[in-house]
Amino acid sequence: MALIENTKCECGHQNRVGTVLCESCGKPLDNSGESQALLEMRYDGVARRSQRVNPNFIDRIWNFFSSVKVAVYLILFTLLGAMLGTIFEQESNFINFDPSTFYKNKYGQIGEIYYKLGLSHTYESWWFVLLLVMIGASLVICSLDRVLPLYKALSKQRIRKHLQFLTRQKVVYQGPIHEGEETDWVERAVKPLRRKRYRVHAEKDALLAEKQRFSRWGPYIIHIGLIVFLLAVLFRGLPGLHLDQHYWFPEGEKTKISGTNLYLENEKFTVEYYSQDEMSEDFRKTGKEVPKMFETKAILYECTANCDDPSKQPQLREVKRHAIQVNDPLSYKGLSAYQFDFDLTPKLRSVQPVLVNKVTGEQYGKFKLEMNNPQQEFKLGPYTLELKNKFLDFSLNEQGQPISKSKDPNAPAFLFLVKGPDIPEEGSQFIYFPKQIDKERFQQDAINEKLGGLQNKLQIDVLGMEDVDFIASSSYLNIRIDRAMPFVWLGLGIVMLGLIMSFYWQHRRIWLRIDDGILTLGAHTTKNWFGMRREVSSFLAAMGIEADEKSLENGGK
Amino acid sequence: MGKARRPVQIIVLLCIVILGAYAINSAVAGRSSDKPVVGGKPPAMKLLGLDGKVHTLDEYKGKALVINFWATWCTYCVNEMPALQKQWEKWRDQGVVVLGINTGEDRMTVTNFTQQLGTDFPIWFDFDNEAVRDYGVVPMPTTFFVDKTGRIASIREGELNLSTLDTQIQQLVQTEG
Repeated sequence: MALIENTKCECGHQNRVGTVLCESCGKPLDNSGESQALLEMRYDGVARRSQRVNPNFIDRIWNFFSSVKVAVYLILFTLLGAMLGTIFEQESNFINFDPSTFYKNKYGQIGEIYYKLGLSHTYESWWFVLLLVMIGASLVICSLDRVLPLYKALSKQRIRKHLQFLTRQKVVYQGPIHEGEETDWVERAVKPLRRKRYRVHAEKDALLAEKQRFSRWGPYIIHIGLIVFLLAVLFRGLPGLHLDQHYWFPEGEKTKISGTNLYLENEKFTVEYYSQDEMSEDFRKTGKEVPKMFETKAILYECTANCDDPSKQPQLREVKRHAIQVNDPLSYKGLSAYQFDFDLTPKLRSVQPVLVNKVTGEQYGKFKLEMNNPQQEFKLGPYTLELKNKFLDFSLNEQGQPISKSKDPNAPAFLFLVKGPDIPEEGSQFIYFPKQIDKERFQQDAINEKLGGLQNKLQIDVLGMEDVDFIASSSYLNIRIDRAMPFVWLGLGIVMLGLIMSFYWQHRRIWLRIDDGILTLGAHTTKNWFGMRREVSSFLAAMGIEADEKSLENGGK
Repeated sequence: MGKARRPVQIIVLLCIVILGAYAINSAVAGRSSDKPVVGGKPPAMKLLGLDGKVHTLDEYKGKALVINFWATWCTYCVNEMPALQKQWEKWRDQGVVVLGINTGEDRMTVTNFTQQLGTDFPIWFDFDNEAVRDYGVVPMPTTFFVDKTGRIASIREGELNLSTLDTQIQQLVQTEG
């Protein structure tokens, strides 16, 4: 038969397996009875919950995670893994790239191996997340396994402890008391201890004084904080909690941020370059221009109506204005917009030309021609211009048909059906290139000659630059939403609270009992033994007993 | 007291396993971003159609879908338009819908284009390029073949000719829901 430890104490209390000090009287259960070694006071000597005689499968898992040793290894492995992820840049640093070739090209064979091992996405790999989850499990189980027995042990402490429990503390005093004082010695001891802010529980000839027990819960508060932190980190990927996207914001346009009901307008983008004399001689030779500062004056709008209906114009309400610079993002309710890049290529937004009668010289208009979603009919004096088609990047395909080469207004062309005096009833077609260079390149007059010969009668002209509206530049912003962040901070806050609790306070206890005129005192603290000794010494002095601080040191002999 | 602990232990362990599995799964899945994959569901869209009405994919529940992302300035897209129209005419009676998603162009451009080509399959406007983003479309055209059970059967980038389209759709129709 397996050896079953005798866990019954001489006081009659039946202790659980793994108990070091009798849960009731505090007698050490190390069986020898002779040992004078200092007591193991962790968890007040009670057994961790998972310690059992015949652990089954679940108990074994529980035990595994309950072990501090395992926790330390888990943390070490996690640190090691985290270090591996710092060797080469991670995939998440890039927006558009092909990792399968990138690492090989940049770092050669090692890079290839790095990529093949999956270390290019260390922090998103299953094993790294598994390690984090296991640390989380360890935190939960470790805490549950210890805090509950500890709480129980501390909330029902016996005042009169076994003599060995006192003499094997780290701070001990033993000595006779003056005759005739036995009866009220304990009673008199209450006052000086209370003055030292102890909670005192006294019996006839025994006493327990205790203070700042709450500091014992510090480590578990730290654990709770870490669990909140870990949960926040692990679940920031939940839909709606996290967004990390890059968008182009053309100047003067309201651009929707997909996945939200927010729109961002780049009101004005400015860039400032380092001047020649701000650069070093060597750098000047490279001929590079380096931006000193770039800034997007941004306005954030919230959609208040028609947000989800693409057939209607959304109603927007301004919620925030900010000049976004590098490292100075716009922030609104967990959304941040960071300056990322810019493009200074101007893009035509609209022109406001006039229609000119070439014969009489009469002008009609201005009319506004937008590159996107232009108005389709214009009434100008006696003429009607019906917009039939537009080509933003005009070109002719192999069949000689007009097409647009891209969606950008690089070479816009507008095809009108013109009706009016001296024009056939069904109208006549007329093509218009707003840019002078395109007029010549594509020979606007020659095309119009073929279309209906209107080029001799009419002309569409922009009178001055004030009638041309450009999107001067575009700003590239990184939009991030991280709603898990407040929970990360909350977790860290709780951790800090726990640290303060366990660093700045100590759980101190003094036990004493009087047996046949002999006073035995044992004292325990979670740290700062010097302070504890001083406190005991000064307490004894108040009671008329001279005891040098050093002499109280038990030393474990 | 020992008995009361058992269910607590089991519940705590179960919670850890469930949360942990979810965390690992979402971390690994999150890496491949949210782009749709073969076997997955096509992301939801709510877009304005050429017919002036607002549409969602739910309208085509139980039908096989050929979702084609295109633009008038994309030569390959324009090239495959007639093939798409042919297949639409051929398969529409068998529960196949050809759906064109125009990427970021205005109404006039698209209307002129479809009239010129004589296409009549449904076309939706993705004005803000939201669907492009959600579907992770990079080159154009990109075509998603969705079977009748609502799963993506294949994703094709680049121009499709009549015969590949035909075989693809054939396969879609065969995988009955």
